[in-house]
Amino acid sequence: MILELDRISKSYGAVRALDELCFAVDRDEIVAVLGPNGAGKTSTLEIALGLRSADSGRASLFGASPRDAATRRRVGATPQDSGFPDALRVEELVAFAAAHYPGAPAAAQTIATFGLADLARRRAGQLSGGESRRVALALAFAGNPEFVVLDEPTTGLDVESRRRLWETVRGASGGRSILFTTHYLEEAEALATRIVVIDRGKMLFDGDPRDLRERFGTRRVSYVGEPLPSAALGFEASATRANGHVVVTTADTDAYVRALVRAGVEFSDLEIARPSLEEAFLTITGGAK
Amino acid sequence: MNPLSTVIAHARLQLMDLFRSPGYVVPTVGFPALFFALLALPYARSGPGAADQLTLSYMAFAVIGVALYQFGVGIAAERGRPWERYLRTLPVSTAERFAARVVAATAFGLLAAAVVAIVARLFTPVDLSALQWLQSFAYALIGGVPFVLIGIAVGYGVSARAAVPVATACNLVLAYAGGLWIPPRELPAALQMVSPYLPTRAFGDLMWSIDGGASAAHGLVVLLAYTAAFAAVAALGYRRDERVRYA
Repeated sequence: MILELDRISKSYGAVRALDELCFAVDRDEIVAVLGPNGAGKTSTLEIALGLRSADSGRASLFGASPRDAATRRRVGATPQDSGFPDALRVEELVAFAAAHYPGAPAAAQTIATFGLADLARRRAGQLSGGESRRVALALAFAGNPEFVVLDEPTTGLDVESRRRLWETVRGASGGRSILFTTHYLEEAEALATRIVVIDRGKMLFDGDPRDLRERFGTRRVSYVGEPLPSAALGFEASATRANGHVVVTTADTDAYVRALVRAGVEFSDLEIARPSLEEAFLTITGGAK
Repeated sequence: MNPLSTVIAHARLQLMDLFRSPGYVVPTVGFPALFFALLALPYARSGPGAADQLTLSYMAFAVIGVALYQFGVGIAAERGRPWERYLRTLPVSTAERFAARVVAATAFGLLAAAVVAIVARLFTPVDLSALQWLQSFAYALIGGVPFVLIGIAVGYGVSARAAVPVATACNLVLAYAGGLWIPPRELPAALQMVSPYLPTRAFGDLMWSIDGGASAAHGLVVLLAYTAAFAAVAALGYRRDERVRYA
């Protein structure tokens, strides 16, 4: 096991940031931690990285304390946004990060992998937001660590840069485990093999992205026509009208369509929407985002 | 990684960052020599005795500035930054990082003192033997120790915004009152009462002992007392910061 968090709790004054949170990251897993603002995502990462310690419960990284410098030799993390010393060049920062790790590849190689060749000589103070994010990612991977922790790796970027960054992360992920926090459900779905949803410091969901959709999302059928009376159905379905369409929300869309056909009513423009992760997330967290 | 290579990596990064910041290099390396040229040169030209004493005083002043700025202003500015948080995720111990800071500060301190020494050699009849010059740099580093600790205490004690004025005030007031700008006997009578108890005066005594102008023992005892006192204050500040940010 790479990371194990066993019933960790953490309070800041009267605020309970983490409440007996349990989850683990195994080899080759890419785990996304999702949650509304203030859910405890940052506290979770801070404890995993040894930046803070839990009030109770146990956090172990490679079977040891995350607070040991020796344990951190197997871990790479990103600095938070725009936090580099301005006067230093990108290649200097990458070489600096790499200097801490015995198995680090040459800085030039990391620079190439992360598409930073054009920026290598640029001073950190002159990087754009997207470029800074790319450098931050490169620093997390610069030591070739077994475990990489990314704190909101693409926050504030436009969709295009975000997608490019995902590509890069996927390319660099081989043979290691990654734990990252994000606000973007799309990001969790694009990168993660597992999603952990937390809110108010408690675990709400831990599973693969498809599970999250299936269990907490609702499916929809929409068509032009008349809704079926619920008496004729024998299962839960609620219908509303929008833009001249009937929109039916139900757990079993297939059964609804069969009922629709059996009833022999006129309908057209039939559409079945699979549940969105967004919806599943909103259901789980009670609408908070 | 062996500790030495991480210490070198951190010291190198700090030195590159500092050397590329004119806002840091000019005041710490340039000002002591400039003050020497403006305030001390007329007296220093009067003879080798005065030149020796003033040169040694301004070498001490140069090291004090580096200690207060690099530790005081440096720590106050860095401790809240995301970069500091990132450095803590790297496999490097607090001791290694502190050692790197000492290495970088030593390099800057020696440079600032050397610039004073060069100006003195060029424009005054300063008359120190090679051994005495060597001694002057060694003593300058020893005398700088309590000021490093005062710097750390300031760095953890005040905000980033307050650190520059606080460090500057400490630097200028203590240097003047300790008799580093003008010899102690030229100070106003009231200041002469306080002056012997100041760390800057003790640093001066240590430096002046090189050409027999004062007793090194007295200077060392006072410096040791300040070292002990500010080590305690610095440790308190460090622990408080650890508790607030990283508990």
